[in-house]
Amino acid sequence: MLITCTDLLKTYSCEGRMLKAVDSANLTVSKGEFVTILGHSGSGKTTLLSLIGGLTRPDSGTVYIDGIENWQQSDSDLAVMRNRKIGFIFQFASLIPTLTVIENILLPLSFSKSPEGDRGYAMDLLDRVGLADRANNLPGQLSGGQQRRVAIARSFINRPEIILADEPTGDLDEATEDDILALFKEFNQNGVTFLVVTHNRDLAASQQSPRVFNMVQGVLA
Amino acid sequence: MNTGLEKQRNILDYGLMSLWRRKTKNLSVLLVFALVIFLMSSFQFLTGALTDVAQQSLRLAPEITVQKMVAGRQEQIPISYGDKLQEIFGIRRVEPRVWGYHFSTTTGGNITMLGVSSFDPRLETALLHGRLPSGSSAGEVVLGQGVVRDLDLKGRRKFSFFRPELTQKTFTVTGEFKPESELLTADLMVMSIADSRDFFHISETYATDLLVTVANPAEIETIARKIAELLPDTRVVTRPQILKTYNAVFGWRSGFGSVCLLTGLAAFIILAWDKASGMTPEEKREIGILKLLGWQTSDVLAVRFYESFAVSFLALLLGCTLGYVHIAFFDGALFRPVMFGWSVITPHLHLVPVVRFGDVLLVICFTVLPYLAVTIIPAWRAASVPPDSAMR
Ligand SMILES: Nc1ncnc2c1ncn2[C@@H]1O[C@H](COP(=O)(O)OP(=O)(O)OP(=O)(O)O)[C@@H](O)[C@H]1O
Ligand SMILES: [Mg+2]
Repeated sequence: MLITCTDLLKTYSCEGRMLKAVDSANLTVSKGEFVTILGHSGSGKTTLLSLIGGLTRPDSGTVYIDGIENWQQSDSDLAVMRNRKIGFIFQFASLIPTLTVIENILLPLSFSKSPEGDRGYAMDLLDRVGLADRANNLPGQLSGGQQRRVAIARSFINRPEIILADEPTGDLDEATEDDILALFKEFNQNGVTFLVVTHNRDLAASQQSPRVFNMVQGVLA
Repeated sequence: MNTGLEKQRNILDYGLMSLWRRKTKNLSVLLVFALVIFLMSSFQFLTGALTDVAQQSLRLAPEITVQKMVAGRQEQIPISYGDKLQEIFGIRRVEPRVWGYHFSTTTGGNITMLGVSSFDPRLETALLHGRLPSGSSAGEVVLGQGVVRDLDLKGRRKFSFFRPELTQKTFTVTGEFKPESELLTADLMVMSIADSRDFFHISETYATDLLVTVANPAEIETIARKIAELLPDTRVVTRPQILKTYNAVFGWRSGFGSVCLLTGLAAFIILAWDKASGMTPEEKREIGILKLLGWQTSDVLAVRFYESFAVSFLALLLGCTLGYVHIAFFDGALFRPVMFGWSVITPHLHLVPVVRFGDVLLVICFTVLPYLAVTIIPAWRAASVPPDSAMR
């Protein structure tokens, strides 16, 4: 198993009230799968993703990625794991405003290889999301959907085994959405594992053999 | 290639790039910072240089000076007092001095006219050119650079002053003191005691003060105490005391200057805190995103460290270099009013800056270190929050 979540619990206290954002979630994902989790706003999707990606520490339960429990490793190992194994696509803009598009895409590589050597690959990815001509623009000069596409290109730059995507087609029109989903499909067929949370019911349908879960008030089913 | 090194190189790249991206802001911080370091280092170098000059000059100062006090004021001392001193064991020589002030109508300052009964041969080394006056009453004098400027002799060797009762006395210049000794010799006009007696009309039985030379310099204080016991109506001043007073005056002045500088520095640090570190939401967000992408807290701090280090190191280099130039080539022009304020004949002293490791360290402690702290601590706070906070 590539990802194994067992009895994940994450609560937030809101004005003295305990709120279970993720409630006893169990999930296993094997390599090469395309998993979609559907849920209403506030159902805990983002929280679940950040638990799996090692961004948030669960109150209880475990997350194994490739056989290693997220929180049993040191902070720096966890950071390296995030950097090497996982590509994140966040729900909200996550580009660094003072870096150009191409620099943003190359950012995750700062630690592995020489970023310059991968410029070609970065340009390829940018082309795939339809923004080859915007490489030297600043994020502020792009529309919301364009920024999201840059973030999508960035998530692939490290050639990660796992893509964790939070509402990846959020502000995209149908045609662009189809392009992105085709890109996902291609990477998925090449063995990349996807875990996508969304409230877009059509997203799963675009993929070859998706597994679909529903999330309701923190409970995964 | 060593991956750790490669990683540091990438972090450094990122840091320098991000400095460049915010070049206007960083440039202004750099300039203000360099200015503060410039002021502080100039000040340190200047005090160092002055202390050196003072100590060199004071080596020539008399070991013990005896002055007669009447009602708390200095009066002429009878030569007979010197004879009494002969009975103290360890005194090698007692010499009378006659000196006083001559008001210069051109500058409105006083010239110190000093008549000595013998010329210390070491004084010869303080001469820029020429020779010491002969012991006669021929009117031969050696001038400090301030007096040279003041009299504006233009190469002439003779000039005249009016005696207090308005008859004229003519002097001949035989030499000038070196500019390096100007702190002490600027307003000085040295002549034989016969000439100063003649000029000030002081009889052979009196002197302005007595100079005592001891056989063993280690006994200066002991002998000074004995003199004071023997001649209760005198004040006995020793060279170590002069040195101490001198240092105290300098210490006070530099202390005062330091306080001013520290105030400025504090203002700068507050500004730096506000500007460099009062992290904007974008900067916090940037740190969050870097962490999401797999940067560690230490990496984020390393970036900040490289940035701050580059800025402060450049500022240090720039500031110290300018400070050195300020002292060495402009003779500390900006600080002259503070350091020499008491003297009307402003010394045109040429200063050789003294760069002491301790001084530079002090400058670093008061500038670079606070700046590093002030920029890195907020970044550390921002980098220590869990990464998911930047996610929503
Ligand atoms: N830091 C936090 N402090 C308190 N409550 C939080 C925090 N983060 C999330 N929550 C709460 O946890 C619940 C789940 O939030 P989450 O962001 O996971 O929902 P979501 O399914 O991603 O919603 P959306 O589709 O709108 O993005 C929400 O009720 C939210 O208010
Ligand atoms: Mg969400």
